[in-house]
Amino acid sequence: MTYAYLFKYIIIGDTGVGKSCLLLQFTDKRFQPVHDLTIGVEFGARMVNIDGKQIKLQIWDTAGQESFRSITRSYYRGAAGALLVYDITRRETFNHLTSWLEDARQHSSSNMVIMLIGNKSDLESRRDVKREEGEAFAREHGLIFMETSAKTACNVEEAFINTAKEIYRKIQQGLFDVHNEANGIKIGPQQSIATSAGPGACPRNSRDTGSDSGCC
Amino acid sequence: MSGKDGTETPVIAETSRTLEDGNCESDKNSESVDHSAMPESESELAASTGRRPEVKPSSDLETSKVQETVSKEETQTGWGYWGSWGKSLLSSASATVATVGQGISSVIEKAESSLGIPSPSEISSEVKVAAAETNTRENEDSSLGAGPFGVFSTISTAVQSTGKSVIAGGLDALEFIGKKTMDVIAEGDPGFKRTKGLMNRNATLSQVLREAKEKEELWTSNEVTMETDKNTHYGLLFDEFQGLSHLEALEMLSQESEIKVRSVLNSLSGDELETLKLELEQLKEAFSLAEFCDEEEEEKKGDEDFTKEVTELFSQLHVSTKPEKLTRARNTAYEWIKAVPAKTLAENKEEEKQLEGGNTEEVSKNSIEDIHAFAIRSLAELTACSIELFHKTAALVLHGQRQNVTAIERSQTLSQVTVVLCKELSFLSREFTTSLTTVGVKEKTDSLNPLITAVFLEASNSASYIQDAFQLLLPVLELSLIENRTESPTHELQVQKPLAQQ
Repeated sequence: MTYAYLFKYIIIGDTGVGKSCLLLQFTDKRFQPVHDLTIGVEFGARMVNIDGKQIKLQIWDTAGQESFRSITRSYYRGAAGALLVYDITRRETFNHLTSWLEDARQHSSSNMVIMLIGNKSDLESRRDVKREEGEAFAREHGLIFMETSAKTACNVEEAFINTAKEIYRKIQQGLFDVHNEANGIKIGPQQSIATSAGPGACPRNSRDTGSDSGCC
Repeated sequence: MSGKDGTETPVIAETSRTLEDGNCESDKNSESVDHSAMPESESELAASTGRRPEVKPSSDLETSKVQETVSKEETQTGWGYWGSWGKSLLSSASATVATVGQGISSVIEKAESSLGIPSPSEISSEVKVAAAETNTRENEDSSLGAGPFGVFSTISTAVQSTGKSVIAGGLDALEFIGKKTMDVIAEGDPGFKRTKGLMNRNATLSQVLREAKEKEELWTSNEVTMETDKNTHYGLLFDEFQGLSHLEALEMLSQESEIKVRSVLNSLSGDELETLKLELEQLKEAFSLAEFCDEEEEEKKGDEDFTKEVTELFSQLHVSTKPEKLTRARNTAYEWIKAVPAKTLAENKEEEKQLEGGNTEEVSKNSIEDIHAFAIRSLAELTACSIELFHKTAALVLHGQRQNVTAIERSQTLSQVTVVLCKELSFLSREFTTSLTTVGVKEKTDSLNPLITAVFLEASNSASYIQDAFQLLLPVLELSLIENRTESPTHELQVQKPLAQQ
């Protein structure tokens, strides 16, 4: 139940690229072919293990519809990671990436880790965007890149976890100020007690606190 | 004592009366308590709390013991008292928050009606007597302090003494009551800190809740206790149902809207500014919460009624979100409660036959803990669903779909929704506590009462959260009002199309 860190993620991209399906596959390990249109934002959470540390991912799955755009911008604030999703069978979703990226950069912390995701990799026969194009776009803009399939679950875990690994790496390099919540990172309840504990509040069970927390 | 009854501060008279309503079988004598003095506010209080406390038999024992040593109104230490009155105080406290700024006279009026205080002229002659009484009572209270009802008696002291200051100090006193109550309650239950925190307007609601949740997380991780313990932590459950996230998202929309509204206001001047301000003022009025004491002397409404009512209200909002998740959660809770008494009573009887006492206690103990856990869970779920609905509503209002309702109409509807939700929560909590008292007949009050307190506390917490979340919608509707003035109505049509179906 306890965690060393909590990372806030946002999932962004055009409507219908499979953002909510990716989330559902990641949190519930299931696929739902027909999905309600997301209103504003939906949420999911899951614990992952990075380097032996429990990390809670708090995922904000935003509405992709153009008309919600101004609203979803409000939600970017304080995200540590973003999954920018396009649909490999629909080129226009790839073409819109630049505008999504601009939005993301403008409304969130500059350190935010962005994972570019080409979704629906199971629909190889209908592919409209080459894998290399995605890779090139990612390289050009300093993003991580993966192709996934929310339907077959291929690479879904990896996409979420690799993003977390990258954030974690940045924390260790000191690029993220973990005490500033605007960065989308929060220290888990046990860790924070190490810095602000009163007497008697020190956790007896320090299994998860890790070596560098200095607790107890 | 009969002479004293006539001069008691009405607050006290009224609380006695309220208890009596639920307690009439066990305590017919007290019928004589001075309710003739202010019949109006009495009935109003009863209606406003809407709470007919369920008095469990075991509390009578407790009551009669105390009765001998303490003045009459102090005898009402059973849960009925606490349940009815403590909550009405809580709700009037939060209602006050919403009303401040509406003009002192209306606040005082509200205070008078909800606390049952007659007009200043009427009361001034009685103040002295009340003061004297309070002094003696305080002494008596201290002797009670250590017992299981310590919390209660401190509160009653606070309120008794504030009874006087309300008259003297008006608004300040009201704030004091609110704060004092929160403080006192929090003392008795550290997990309640968040409501105390609500009084501190510097922190956002989600921060307050988050802190509470984190404390609980810490607590549960430190305590090497049973799995089941985790199931009764409201904050953790509320988060699990994504209540915190929706609240945070709602706050973001609210803040952003507020900034935009302010910048619009700054850009205007002269008549234009004045008319807009006037319109915004009207909107704000819809947000000063409607009284909780609607005429409805609601008896148990049918299951469908809540569903129908909320669904209808939402259709009036003209936003494409439906409260199905909420109503489903609510109906599940009711079904569960309905199944409880029959089940556990039957179990107990069987057990009794087989084992003759002894283990029966074990069985019912599990049951009351089960009920308690389920109650807390349901309250957390319903609150989370309610806040999710408010968040979705905010998103859809800002999204600017169909605008054949005005922002003011929407605000009024939302205000009604808030009232309905809070009523539902209080009703549900009563169902749970009834169930607890029925199943826990044989329990010691020491083990039963804390569970009942917890349910009542979390129910009133839930109501506060919902009311605070409702307030977050104000800037959103303000912005919507402003945008509707400036935008031509043709714009929205294309926007709502894709949303209508998929």
